[in-house]
Amino acid sequence: MVSRPPTEDELVERACAGDGAAFGALIRDHQEIAFRTAYLITRNAADAEDAAQTALVKAHAALPRFRRGAPVRPWLLAIVANEARNRRRSAGRREALALRAAHEAPPGGAAPSPEGALIAAEERATLLAALDELPDEQRLVLSLRYLLDLSEEETAAALGVRRGTVKSRTARALERLRANLGLAA
Amino acid sequence: MTSLELQLRNLSDEIAFPVTPDLAAAAGRIAGARTRPARRRRRTLALAFAVVLAVAAGVLAFSPGARSAFLEFFRLEGATISRVESLPQVEPVALDLGERVSRAEAERRVGFDVLGIDGEEPDAIYVRGSRLVSLLYGPLDEPRLLLSQHHAEVWDGFVKKAAGSGTTIEPVTVSGEPGYFVSGDPHFVMYLEDGLIQDEPASLAGNTLLWNRGELLLRLEADITRDEALELAESVR
Repeated sequence: MVSRPPTEDELVERACAGDGAAFGALIRDHQEIAFRTAYLITRNAADAEDAAQTALVKAHAALPRFRRGAPVRPWLLAIVANEARNRRRSAGRREALALRAAHEAPPGGAAPSPEGALIAAEERATLLAALDELPDEQRLVLSLRYLLDLSEEETAAALGVRRGTVKSRTARALERLRANLGLAA
Repeated sequence: MTSLELQLRNLSDEIAFPVTPDLAAAAGRIAGARTRPARRRRRTLALAFAVVLAVAAGVLAFSPGARSAFLEFFRLEGATISRVESLPQVEPVALDLGERVSRAEAERRVGFDVLGIDGEEPDAIYVRGSRLVSLLYGPLDEPRLLLSQHHAEVWDGFVKKAAGSGTTIEPVTVSGEPGYFVSGDPHFVMYLEDGLIQDEPASLAGNTLLWNRGELLLRLEADITRDEALELAESVR
């Protein structure tokens, strides 16, 4: 007989009952997106890790009040992002986002010609630099929506704003990015 | 989706994000520490700390960037004290104890009899939300003692972070119930309040005694020694 993996609700119940492994399992599926969200906000790996760990303590404390049936990810992202914002206000050194080295290209893609790869790399670097120059609020909404592929609902939870605000902020940010890149509207 | 949006989405695969730390393992340790029974024998407590420390040391050895990793957890009903390597920098804020009310009003809001230092009337009583009561002794701008209390079984309210080797966390017993005396370097209190979490520096510059009394968690903060704090705590009724 094949046993099915536990649902998030089952893991929440078990974690509330004191099952540390269940809380770990609940976090495992979301740990990368949570850490990267914290990193995009703090722009410092150590601060992001600190924020994420503190958020875990708070998330565990708040777990009994978690609404059953609701998705865990936006709830967790809201707690992590809030903690990351607290860190960011006092954070020291900010790290700029960097592109992978050419030999670290993600698997699965067809290998481009050397010239094509060079042009593509230059375009990506230009786009990343333009993204980085946006005001924090706009940079962050685009980073969460497109670099992390968060839904509007998740982005709203992470930013602590309404979904409509995510829509309008995204539109304004894209418009400004387009202008900065010299692209036609 | 526009061409620019597509380019942004494609960019996501090319970003050199830092390696994601093993948060799931940290979560397991946090949950294990926070759900450990509070009323345990001293020997069991000491063994548990040894295990937590060993695990944390192992993690740190493999993760030099984890400079603020949690090193220790100390559990009471309604509170977790954690030791970290470095504290977040939080702007100093004014002491926010909530709304000033009468003792009767405080008891009506929180639903339990408010305890105080025997033979000494507080200068003011405050309620924060519907669960946390604080008795202030001395003026608000320069308090000499603060006694806070909440119903530990319905609210896991205090999460205290204590910094590095400069802060001492001692297990104590108050009227036969468990507690911790936190002294030395500044520490932080994180309040969990109706789902909202707020960081604050320790309310006073002094030391802190946290202990359970029945279903309550009490916190006494003042610039006093451990023995003085224990004597005051024993007189709370």
